[in-house]
Parts: sequence; C-alpha cells; structure tokens
Amino acid sequence: MKGLAGKRVVITGGASGIGAATVERFLQEGARVAVIDRDAKGGRALCRKHPDLAGVIEADVSDPASVDRAFNDLDGLLGGLDVAINNAGISIRHDFMDITPEEWRRVLGVDLDGVFYVAQQSARRMLAGAGGVIVNMGSTSGMNGYPRYADYNSAKAGVIELTRTMALELAPKIRVVAVCPGYVWTAMQEAEYTPEMKAAVDAKIPLRRHARPEEIAALFAFLASDEAPYITGHPVIIDGGEIAGGLASR
Amino acid sequence: MMKLENRVAIITGATSGIGEASARLFAREGARVALTGRNEARGREVASAIAAEGGSAVFVRADVRVPADCRHAVEETLHAFGGRLDILFNNAGVFHPHNAIDCTEEEWDETVDASLKGAWLMSKYALPAMIAQGRGVIIHQASGWGIQGGDEAVAYCAAKGGLVVMTKAMAIDHGKQGIRVNCLCPGDVDTPMLAADAEARRMSYADYMKGAANRPLGRVGTPDEIARAALFLASDDSSFMTGAALVVDGGGIAG
Repeated sequence: MKGLAGKRVVITGGASGIGAATVERFLQEGARVAVIDRDAKGGRALCRKHPDLAGVIEADVSDPASVDRAFNDLDGLLGGLDVAINNAGISIRHDFMDITPEEWRRVLGVDLDGVFYVAQQSARRMLAGAGGVIVNMGSTSGMNGYPRYADYNSAKAGVIELTRTMALELAPKIRVVAVCPGYVWTAMQEAEYTPEMKAAVDAKIPLRRHARPEEIAALFAFLASDEAPYITGHPVIIDGGEIAGGLASR
Repeated sequence: MMKLENRVAIITGATSGIGEASARLFAREGARVALTGRNEARGREVASAIAAEGGSAVFVRADVRVPADCRHAVEETLHAFGGRLDILFNNAGVFHPHNAIDCTEEEWDETVDASLKGAWLMSKYALPAMIAQGRGVIIHQASGWGIQGGDEAVAYCAAKGGLVVMTKAMAIDHGKQGIRVNCLCPGDVDTPMLAADAEARRMSYADYMKGAANRPLGRVGTPDEIARAALFLASDDSSFMTGAALVVDGGGIAG
C-alpha cells in the first residue's frame, strides 16, 4: 500500500486475533508498529515473533489513566503518531435479560469508552504533528440487530457515530474511518461457537465462510494508507455479503 | 508486486474521467484491460496510451444502453484475452441536472439506462464467464447521491440508489459462485462530467468547484483517488468484501 512505509502506527489489542494479523500486515508494509494490549504474556509472544516491532505496552483501554500512561510510553517508542488502529474489543454472549450492570459496563468500557480514550490521545498527537488517520473497529453488529449481544451491538453503533463525528471535527488534518466486519474466525469467535453453529452461520453468508483475520487487516492497511486519501467519515462493511440481505440475523 | 497480475478487466465509460484513470491504473497493476465507450477516437487514444506505457488494452465501442453492444463487449474481451474475464467495472454514466418537473422522458431514460440498466446488462453477459472460472469481481459506479439525495438530480439519484441495492442483491445471488459485487460511492470528482454539470447549471467552473469543495476534506476528489478505491475492490486485498458500498467523498455525506 502506498505511503505506509515508515509510518508510526499504534494498534490496540494487537496481541491476538485481528489485531495480531494487522500488526503483521503493517510490518510487511514497512510501518513502525507499537501495540497496546492488556495481555502481557501475549505481548511478549508477539515481540518474540516480530523482532522488528517497536514495542508492546501493557494497558487497559477502558481505563483513561492507563491509556494516558500508555501514550506517554508510546511517545518514547515512536516519537509521534501517524496511524491509530483502534482494534481492542471484547464480547460476551448472553441474553438481554441476563446482562448484569457489571457486564454491561465492561463491554461498553472496552468497546466504546476505550475507542474514545485512544482516539482522543491519538488525535492530540496527530493535530500537533502532520495529521494522520484513525481507524476504529466497528462491526455489522452496530448496524443490524443480533440476539444475545445487546451490549456489544450498542457499543459498536456508538463507535460508528463517534467515527462520523470525529471525521467532521478533525478534517482535513485527520481522516477517521470505521471498519465493520461481520463474522471473523478468531479465538474470540472460536470460544463462543460449536462447529455446528459455525456451519450454520457460514451457510447464511453469501461467500459461505467466515473472514480470515488477514482479510480485515488488509482493509485496515488500505484505509490507513495513501491509497485512500479521499475516504473519511464512513463505516466500511467487510462481511462477505452477510448484511446485504440481513441473512445471518434471520 | 502488482495487484492485478494475469487479470482481465472490462471498464465501461473508460474514454475519460474516472474510467480512463481506472483503466490506466489497472493496466499498471498488471491487468489486461478492455475499455468501452461511445467515443471511438477517444477510446483508441486511451488504449494507445496504455500500450505506450507497456500495458495491454483494447477498445470496444459500446453503448451500454444497448443489449447487443454489451454482449459484444464481453465477447470481444474474452476473444482478445484468452477467454478470461476477472473484473467488470460498470463505470459508465450520464448526468442531467433536473428535478422531477423539468426532467424529460428522454433524459430520464438516458440517465437510468446508462447507469442502472447498463450495469445490469453488462453483468448479465459477464457473469457466465466469471462463474465458469469460479471467481470474479463486479464493481458498480454508484454515488454518494445513491445514499443521500442531491439537488436537481432526480433521475441520477434514482439510478445511483438503484445501483447501491442492486449491488447487494447481486452479492447475495452470486457469492456462492465466487463472485464479489461491490459499489463505489464517490462525491464530486474533477472530471469532464463535473464541468458539463457546471455549464448546464449556468455556473462558472470556479464557482461550481468552490461549492463542490464544501465538505470536511475541503476539496473535490481526483479521478485517481476513485480509481485507487476501485483497484482495492478489484484486488485480493478486499477478498471478504461483497455487497458493500465504499464511500469515497471527502466526508461529504458523513454529516
């Protein structure tokens, strides 16, 4: 991708899943990549796998003080910021009637508050520098209803609207875009699904399969690069056609 | 590494603007390109320019409103490039600035037939070859005005809105056959179509462009920026995207 070589990039939740695939893609593109993740062990494994990684900072994106410390460390590692990939997220599969206030707060805390804290810290540095690109992790869950994920869906709908508003306020110096994946085969997904459930979902997706994490990483790379200089303020759906007809939610 | 190596692409309306920029970019990325359009002289010039850069291109004269022309364009492409067809970019379109009262039946038909019916006809004739290969990519040129409404553009908005939903319908039908179908939704782009619209609205191009630049990024788009988005949708970098509308408009419809 044009213009990613040498870019200073932070990826939250980069120790596993889509985040780890995105780290690998940006390193291949020649970017300087640092990761923020609360998983210290996963972070050390990532550093061993990628010796060219600028570093992994242990932090919880749902805690503003933790994010503040992480960005101070990040300044030391990268000396500025060109691209922020707001990828960290969690989900809990539970019925609406069973959601506890603590669970609701935890999911919204990571998936929406965390995106806000990281985006604001990132934008502060980009505005002080030459500008940049912030890509937030939305989801088709923020566009359609899905049973058993009321908290997650609400957070993702919030991320999409946060993206639009940030794009309007931060233009033209900063582009802000959201990536909205459908089903992606990651450890997070694997923990929640039986093989039968996966097959049933695959059958409803027009491309007949889940996404590979690398496919989401490729969209992050495109949107963050100079291949997409006129794209800002929009959610980009990458779902194998799933919500083109709302099939998977039936 | 080239992104479209060994791929064969048809780009309609490739004699100027976004179509021409896309044909040149796709060829630079390794694709063999069939260009269609109504202006034969201009089409041959673009094909020659691509060949001069070391690319491979043919021009096939076609009016996408005419079924026989669409069928012929697909047949000529298959004939020229060894029976392959990997990418169809339905870019051709026309614009008449009119509201529902002013729009004539001829203008309505030309607008809707060139953008919407033409995209369907080209897909109808291209899909069998793609399905036989087990893979293919179709990109429709929609518009931000296919998602939100615009002023004095009733037929254009109807056609572009139709394309956004036709994209989803085709994605559902042909996903299992390995075909991806997406659309682009550009904002105002500095092309001959924009200059013609300024003239039709009796505005100076400078004043028109000032209004068009009134969006978050503060400028109109370039044909190359839209071509790069088309390249992304045509390439394997978007292998899980289908049924989507990629908005490339400087934030124009975000607020």
